Amino acid sequence: MSATVDRMSPEAPSAPRSLAEALRARDDASLAALLRSRPDLITPVPTDLTQLATRAGTRASVLRALERLDRFALQTAEALAVAPDPASYRTLLGLMAGDGGDETVAAALPRAVATLREQALVWGDDERLRLVRTARELLAPTPQHPSPTGLGPTVREATSGMSPGRIQDIVTTAGLPSTHDSVSAVTALTALFADRRKMTKLLAGAPEAAREVLDRLVWGPPYGQVTAEPAAHLRWLLDRGLLLPTAPGTVVLPREVALHLREGRAHRAPEPLPPAVEPAANHSPQVVDATAAGQAYTALATVEELLKDWDEGGPAVLRAGGLSVRDLKRTAVALDVSEPVTAFWIELAYAAGLLASDGEADERYAATPAYDEWLERPAAERWVRLAEAWLAVTRTPGLVGGRDAKDRTLSALGPGLDRSAAPEVRHRVLTLLAGLPQGTAPDTESVLARLRWERPLRGPQPDDDLRTRLARWTLSEAELLGVTGRGALSAHARALLGATPAAATGGPKRGTAPDAATGGASGAGPTTVGSGTPAASAKPASPAASARPGAPAPGAAAPEPSGPGDKLPVHHHRPPGHPAPLSPAEQSAATAAAARLLAPLLPEPLDHVLLQADLTAVAPGPLRRPLADVLGVLADVESKGGATVYRFTPASVRRALDAGRTAADLHAFLAEHSRTPVPQPLAYLIDDVARKHGHLRVGAASSYVRCDDDTLLNEILADKRAAALRLRRLAPTVLAAPADPATLLEGLRAMGYAPAAESAEGDVLIARAHAHRTPPRAAPEPVPDGPPAPDATLLTAAIRAIRAGDLAATTPRKTGGAPLASGELPRTSAAETLATVQAAVLTGESLWIGYVNADGAASQRVIGPVRVEGGFVTAYDHTADEVRTYPLHRITGVAELADD
Amino acid sequence: MSCLIVQSDKTLLLEVDHERADDCRRAIAPFAELERAPEHIHTYRVTPLGLWNARAAGHDAEQVVDALVQYSRYPVPHALLVDIAETMDRYGRLTLSKHPAHGLVLTTTDRPVLEEVLKSRRITPLVGARIDPDTVVVHPSERGQIKQTLLKLGWPAEDLAGYVDGEAHPIELLEDGWNLRPYQKQAVENFWHGGSGVVVLPCGAGKTLVGAGSMAQAKSTTLILVTNTVSARQWKHELVKRTSLTEDEIGEYSGTRKEIRPVTIATYQVLTTRRKGVYPHLELFDSRDWGLIVYDEVHLLPAPVFKFTADLQARRRLGLTATLVREDGRESDVFSLIGPKRFDAPWKEIEAQGYIAPADCVEVRVNLTDSERLAYATAETEEKYRFCATTATKRKVTEAIVRRFAGQQILVIGQYIDQLDELGEHLDAPVIKGETSNAQREKLFDAFREGEISVLVVSKVANFSIDLPEATVAIQVSGTFGSRQEEAQRLGRVLRPKADGHQAHFYSVVARDTIDQDFAAHRQRFLAEQGYAYRIVDADEILAEG
Repeated sequence: MSATVDRMSPEAPSAPRSLAEALRARDDASLAALLRSRPDLITPVPTDLTQLATRAGTRASVLRALERLDRFALQTAEALAVAPDPASYRTLLGLMAGDGGDETVAAALPRAVATLREQALVWGDDERLRLVRTARELLAPTPQHPSPTGLGPTVREATSGMSPGRIQDIVTTAGLPSTHDSVSAVTALTALFADRRKMTKLLAGAPEAAREVLDRLVWGPPYGQVTAEPAAHLRWLLDRGLLLPTAPGTVVLPREVALHLREGRAHRAPEPLPPAVEPAANHSPQVVDATAAGQAYTALATVEELLKDWDEGGPAVLRAGGLSVRDLKRTAVALDVSEPVTAFWIELAYAAGLLASDGEADERYAATPAYDEWLERPAAERWVRLAEAWLAVTRTPGLVGGRDAKDRTLSALGPGLDRSAAPEVRHRVLTLLAGLPQGTAPDTESVLARLRWERPLRGPQPDDDLRTRLARWTLSEAELLGVTGRGALSAHARALLGATPAAATGGPKRGTAPDAATGGASGAGPTTVGSGTPAASAKPASPAASARPGAPAPGAAAPEPSGPGDKLPVHHHRPPGHPAPLSPAEQSAATAAAARLLAPLLPEPLDHVLLQADLTAVAPGPLRRPLADVLGVLADVESKGGATVYRFTPASVRRALDAGRTAADLHAFLAEHSRTPVPQPLAYLIDDVARKHGHLRVGAASSYVRCDDDTLLNEILADKRAAALRLRRLAPTVLAAPADPATLLEGLRAMGYAPAAESAEGDVLIARAHAHRTPPRAAPEPVPDGPPAPDATLLTAAIRAIRAGDLAATTPRKTGGAPLASGELPRTSAAETLATVQAAVLTGESLWIGYVNADGAASQRVIGPVRVEGGFVTAYDHTADEVRTYPLHRITGVAELADD
Repeated sequence: MSCLIVQSDKTLLLEVDHERADDCRRAIAPFAELERAPEHIHTYRVTPLGLWNARAAGHDAEQVVDALVQYSRYPVPHALLVDIAETMDRYGRLTLSKHPAHGLVLTTTDRPVLEEVLKSRRITPLVGARIDPDTVVVHPSERGQIKQTLLKLGWPAEDLAGYVDGEAHPIELLEDGWNLRPYQKQAVENFWHGGSGVVVLPCGAGKTLVGAGSMAQAKSTTLILVTNTVSARQWKHELVKRTSLTEDEIGEYSGTRKEIRPVTIATYQVLTTRRKGVYPHLELFDSRDWGLIVYDEVHLLPAPVFKFTADLQARRRLGLTATLVREDGRESDVFSLIGPKRFDAPWKEIEAQGYIAPADCVEVRVNLTDSERLAYATAETEEKYRFCATTATKRKVTEAIVRRFAGQQILVIGQYIDQLDELGEHLDAPVIKGETSNAQREKLFDAFREGEISVLVVSKVANFSIDLPEATVAIQVSGTFGSRQEEAQRLGRVLRPKADGHQAHFYSVVARDTIDQDFAAHRQRFLAEQGYAYRIVDADEILAEG
């Protein structure tokens, strides 16, 4: 690994000879950029640059760095991996742009090289660009890991195992003079393949079928199968080294030949420019903001409704953590949304700290004290708090209902939902949205394509990798939460992201488009730089990028590297994955700005409803909370949305009465809050229910006193001694008591009365000693003094065992050294044990072993090993008188028995 | 502040007192169904069926979304708009049309949709050979069935196969001294434009004339299906009076008479008579080349008729009803087989125009006596309703009401014959029930019309289509459990506009704290949603007055 890092030469070199030297030559800003983009390099902080360089070359670190490259930088690195080491910038450009050249590629390449250099994946000046060796190993094509370039090994690599005679044959067939050694022959052949003119001539003579074979292999995979007797056209190719054998039956197209056929290109389709985020629809910013604000209000209402639903003890926490599927379904029904959406709201409330497990023995979910504080805040602030929690949380409700690697269902609020990439993807998606003009909704696929470009997966590209799914969830969740409206980023969300300079400078008035302040579409440029977002600032040198509409234009403020020279880029950017956190001051300014923008858009709560004769009430907008609370008890919600439709039913009115309201209260309440006269049927309904309410009374009592003579009962009630019995008069002839009948009887008797107990049927119970019985129980087992007398069978077996054990213990052993003390286990090394046992198998001798069973009990046994395999000894156990199998590792040692 | 509020469950709340309410109503009417129309806020519902009907009528998603966005007080959730656009986009991917060589065919503009529906096991038996990748033959007899099934699968087919004209027959409206009312004209026009469908008008708003108007439009032989013989006679009477048709041109096809004429009026009962497992009178449908089939009181359409109707998709069908609520929930079958709702006028709107009388609806709550309460509590479940609905107190209350409106034309309507007989005895009024002969019925009706009798006690035989022009008070003492449409029909008995323009009264006598009260609440729902606010009074008040 550290081979790339040579010891530093004493004299200062003009060109660095190692990565360490290259790093040493970098200024502090440039090193800081490296460390910022690869934070794993400073955990822990390396002692010196040599150590830093070593660490930067480790496989794990390089892999991490490669995974965070954008697609073009990765393609550049891949091209360098198939180029000679070191390669000049010109060579690299040739590989990337092809012989014909490609202006876009040529323009984007310096940026890509600069990125690679900054990340210490490439070092050396333009004449000698070197890819860090580990990166080269990771990216260079091998038969096991074909490169995305589709290129095969070089001629030199492919011919390394070939006989000199065969090489000379190829060289001569290819029309070159034979040489005296293989090395020069290979060099000559390589030179021939790299020479476009001569190659064209050579290939001109190729049979048609041979060209087809080449065409098939040219873009990879470069390997092909041939039979033992290849056809003539294959023969032709093989003879000239245009195909080289790699293994019996397999041939490969050497890299140089492929590059000739590809006109020098390493990649079939270099992607120098990030795909633009295409607009899908344009709405007026007002519509977008209003829609988002409406949705924001819904978000607040839904979270409140959720926690209200769980107010009196939410659902239980599953033993494995999380919410059961049944509870999720029930909550979904209560909220009247789909289950995935329910999971989102629940997770959102959890992320915002409004909801948690109560931690009791019988664990349930419940609102936190923070929820009560949250409720007191103005609506806009409440929303901002939710939105901030959403932006930062790593939990991904989109996964709920899926299964984890162990095939366990992932439940809402449960474990296994954290995806550390989530906040970064969210931030990135929203930043891309912020790059569009206000009111413009992006095409989802183009956003996903852009994200894939910024963070390509190495290897196959599935359509639903985690980042893509995260991005999709981000878009749908943003809409639910009111971050976007009609698919476009809202002004308040922009402010929250700190995506507008206006937000930082404080308080753009509604209506003055924040973007306009920075100059239309390109305004996002400096902004994105400021917030350290990668894409826009990552390619300041690409003039082509700024020309394309829709894409975040690079900031004009970013100085452009003038050419491909070994200049270190100006380090104002960070790679994807590390959205620069706003400073606390900036963050609170952004928060305040977002709340300020949102507040006027949220509907003002109303203090009235419209009552109708069909026993419904319509609240034509959100209601003040106290009003909504009372109405929520007094009537059932029938439909939700901008307005709320309530229906009064006898059950709902009864609920209100149960909650301690009187009919008069309810009439007054309705009269006060209704814009229209209270309809007669509704007033009647309330009176009708109230008339019956409380007609029947239910309470608990453990015993009663019954007497036809109510004066006697009066007497008892008046008696001071009865106070302890806490008697209560239910009817003239009945007293009830919370005490059990026996205590009551006792108490009354103590007072000098002669009460009789009564059965459930009202008969007088005859006082009789109550026979108390246990449930069925078995008689105790006798505990004898000693073991029972053994029978003959047992005795025989016991004696045999004792004798065998005796044999084991007393047989003289061959083992050299001191004889073991009685009871001591033999001890030998594992190797010795194995050897001895194996020998015993061959000779058929018996052995004395020490053995520890699964319970840890040690014993000595005499065994006759039969075979040893797979770590087990199968042997006839003299002690137990049967064939048994012993794990070798449980055998503490062996000793041979004495010969006699 | 605008007048419309879009709810997340796809209901639309319209504030009727708002100045833009009328514009808004017009904008949303094509795609949203009026569900409830109480005094302040009307509820419309956006359903897939409604959206597809709007598509069929030539509206596109853009217009629907515009209407919502334009009138909505609060921002419309994006998801809802997307959902509406997607739902509307499903219409018209499949079309039913006439192929010159293969007859009825189902074609698609979106091949995967066709593949999807053809995979359905319910579609397979309805289709024939695949002519080309986008076209498949449909058995002509399954036209109704396949439309119904496709609707259930969520891919409604646009039916471009057209209608047969039927055998021509001259019919004209004789507008001498009267004219079709504007809403009747509108209903005829909407129906004719749509081809087939249902017209919903309140009781007493002149549905027969909509039928006559449609016949005059079709000018072809017509089959009219009605609920009973009395109703058939009234149709005939009305048609002779209002159109150029003569007695001889109109036939009656009922239990007693089997005439088939250019215009034939048949009862549902005779059509659904089964003998040895077959319906012998079904040939009526094929006996002439009908150009129009009118279904009166379509909410009562018996299940077998649905099946026949499915086979009649090539003929124009007009459904007439006051209350398209069916307790069996088969409203959607009516829509898919007869056709979508073409015209619907809220009762209160017609009332405001003066075509039906304003009504004062009162629910009178009577208390059971103590002994009745005990008996009620111990009654078998199936006997409970009968028990509380026929309480003796109801009789006293009824008598008190009759006394109060003495001199006016009063109908007493009930379910239980014993109760009615007893009432008849106490009120000294004739009773019309199932066993009363048709001749006797008509005699009594005439006497009532002439004012010779002022109180008439009727059982549920009088539920439909009897023309009692001067009844101004109806007292309902019991009903068919919780039937909403029965309640509406009964109210309809008193809604014919009065000569002197005074108010009609509808009393429903209900036993308090029993299932009678629960049923009453359910029965009243439809009317309450139409804006008829029931007053509730205690029996004691009535008795005290009387």
